Amino acid sequence: MTSRRKFLKSLAAFPPVVSSLSWAPFASEAFAAGEKEVFNYGVLLPLTGGAAPFGLDQVKAHMWAVDEINAAGGANGRKLHPIVLDSQAKPDVGVAGATRLASVDKVPMFVTAFSAVVAAVAPVANRNKVLALSAGANSPRIAKLGDYVYTTYPLADVDVTLLAKYAYQKIGARRAAAIFVNDESGIYGAEVFRDAFKKLGGEVGAFESYEPTATDYTGAVLKIRAANPQVVHLHGNASDTPIALGQMRQLGITVPVTTNTAGYNPELIKKIGTAADGLIIATLAPGPKDSPRVEKYVERWQKEEKRIPNNMPNTQYVHDAAYVVKALVEECDKDGKALTGENLRAALLKVHTFNLPLTDTVTIREDHTVTKPVYLIGVKDAKFVEMGRFE
Amino acid sequence: MYDLTLYSQIVWTSLANSSYQVLFAVAFALVLKVLGIWNFTQPALMAISFYCMYAAIETFHMPPILAMSLALIVTVVFAYALERWAFATLRGRNSGPIAFFIFTIIVSQFVIYILTLIFTAEPRFLLGNMTWASHQMFGVFVTNWDLGAMSLTVALVFALYLFLTHTRYGQFMIAVADNAELAETYGISKSRCYLLTMVIAAFLINTSIFLLGSKIALYPELSLHMMLFAVAATIIGGIGHVFGAAFAAVAIVLIQQLSVLFVGSRWQPLLIFLILFVTIIFFPSGVRIRGAKS
Repeated sequence: MTSRRKFLKSLAAFPPVVSSLSWAPFASEAFAAGEKEVFNYGVLLPLTGGAAPFGLDQVKAHMWAVDEINAAGGANGRKLHPIVLDSQAKPDVGVAGATRLASVDKVPMFVTAFSAVVAAVAPVANRNKVLALSAGANSPRIAKLGDYVYTTYPLADVDVTLLAKYAYQKIGARRAAAIFVNDESGIYGAEVFRDAFKKLGGEVGAFESYEPTATDYTGAVLKIRAANPQVVHLHGNASDTPIALGQMRQLGITVPVTTNTAGYNPELIKKIGTAADGLIIATLAPGPKDSPRVEKYVERWQKEEKRIPNNMPNTQYVHDAAYVVKALVEECDKDGKALTGENLRAALLKVHTFNLPLTDTVTIREDHTVTKPVYLIGVKDAKFVEMGRFE
Repeated sequence: MYDLTLYSQIVWTSLANSSYQVLFAVAFALVLKVLGIWNFTQPALMAISFYCMYAAIETFHMPPILAMSLALIVTVVFAYALERWAFATLRGRNSGPIAFFIFTIIVSQFVIYILTLIFTAEPRFLLGNMTWASHQMFGVFVTNWDLGAMSLTVALVFALYLFLTHTRYGQFMIAVADNAELAETYGISKSRCYLLTMVIAAFLINTSIFLLGSKIALYPELSLHMMLFAVAATIIGGIGHVFGAAFAAVAIVLIQQLSVLFVGSRWQPLLIFLILFVTIIFFPSGVRIRGAKS
């Protein structure tokens, strides 16, 4: 017993190690204090792999929210206890994690993100009647993944459609092109842009993809250039977006480039500098100028990590997912219902609208979609500049 | 539909981007020619070289050229050790090609696994700023990276050609490649030639990984993906024809990038397999230009 305590203490002394396994110390403390039983739930995000810089920041944000909630008395007296597992943002790893959460940890719900992972884990969630809450995936397919898969994060048809509108109406572009990473998120995102831009009356002259493992984008980029677009939509992942944009600029594409939230990444500015100028990023969460709580959140990042988080809007959603969990637990407790996946799902549909600290109000509809305002961020002189909020 | 400038741009940029592929392919083909081994430890050498540079720059704040030199030493030592204690041992046991194949694959997977544990699979940028100054020449954008990479590659390949054809040790290597036992009867040490070959391959790999790392972000498994290219170039260039592999590498990159103008870019990665199928079935000795020497 003593050695086990020593082990837990040593884990607690190394927060990154703890976060990559599970937030275990809560459990024993809560039981020791004779409080209500803790609420265990899963958090399935990339802790290693190409998306790790984003997943780790998301987990950090989530743990901050859990700490805040638990410090304020928890969810109706229950401490939240997230079991954090690594998805690597890969479908197969995600399925293994979700299966473990459902079968071994027997959690009634889990929070996850990344379109390919959410799509892959959906059958596990539906089969086991475990509520899967996506807090950072935008493939339109997510709305059709089954009864137990819901999202707090608006799907691509919200932000990407806004980008198409902005390109057509504000920039005045009539000829566009799209370049995207050949994966779930990239394909669907680019298709949404193409369809929305065409619907407005514009023309999409080139629609080109690149592989996630590509080392050379020349052909695709030049085909985009040959289409002579007035605007280009780039739908990549956080790791390839800087390279793709850099190659576009170096091969003479100087027109504005719209992109999804993957572009909101300090590394992008650091690595390609002023080549990022002219980038227009759609994000789905308010910035520091829009909300005092977000301002404080950014201050905390600056104070503790000396930087803003990678893909900040997504971290805000994953942060707020803890408050959704809290609300669902409280709703079930209020009705005297057991904390099962079925009851939590019913609570989600009953509560319907959640007032969240960093992403404002979110209304989850029965058709599994969410409507939110879109915030545009531009890049000027190698700096992110807030461009405003769009309904 | 497309103007001459666009074709010129694709050809230029593809030639520049083929530089690191040429060096990888030449390193692979050289080991195959002299040692007779399909050296699937090459991804391990690539990854070791990259992460040495990365750690030297990121952790110890070394200037890139110093980091590259340090990585060269480590990569050469690893390549030397592979030949001295692994390949030589397997050869001494008269192990067949399957044993070498399995061993080299295992070494690569092992090294990549270790590097993933240490550095994670997160893509890493080698340099602080990944953009390079560019100039426009006749409508074609030419970056300083393009010029540097192409010059370095041409210089290295030419130096290797001169080494193999005009130096004593180069000719020893060719002799060993042709018939190791016969070469030994003439007093040539085949084990020294094998070691030298591995050292030269490590040098080429180190240079090419620096070129690649100064352009894109790398992660451990990427070197495994890139291995297929070196294998394809070696087969297409003709097994045993080191410089044929170099030309094949350039040709594959050109075909892949130009193909985008005629087919959707999502088909681009499939082309390499198609070229391999055609070569293996119709050109088992590689695609050779009549009269060309390698």
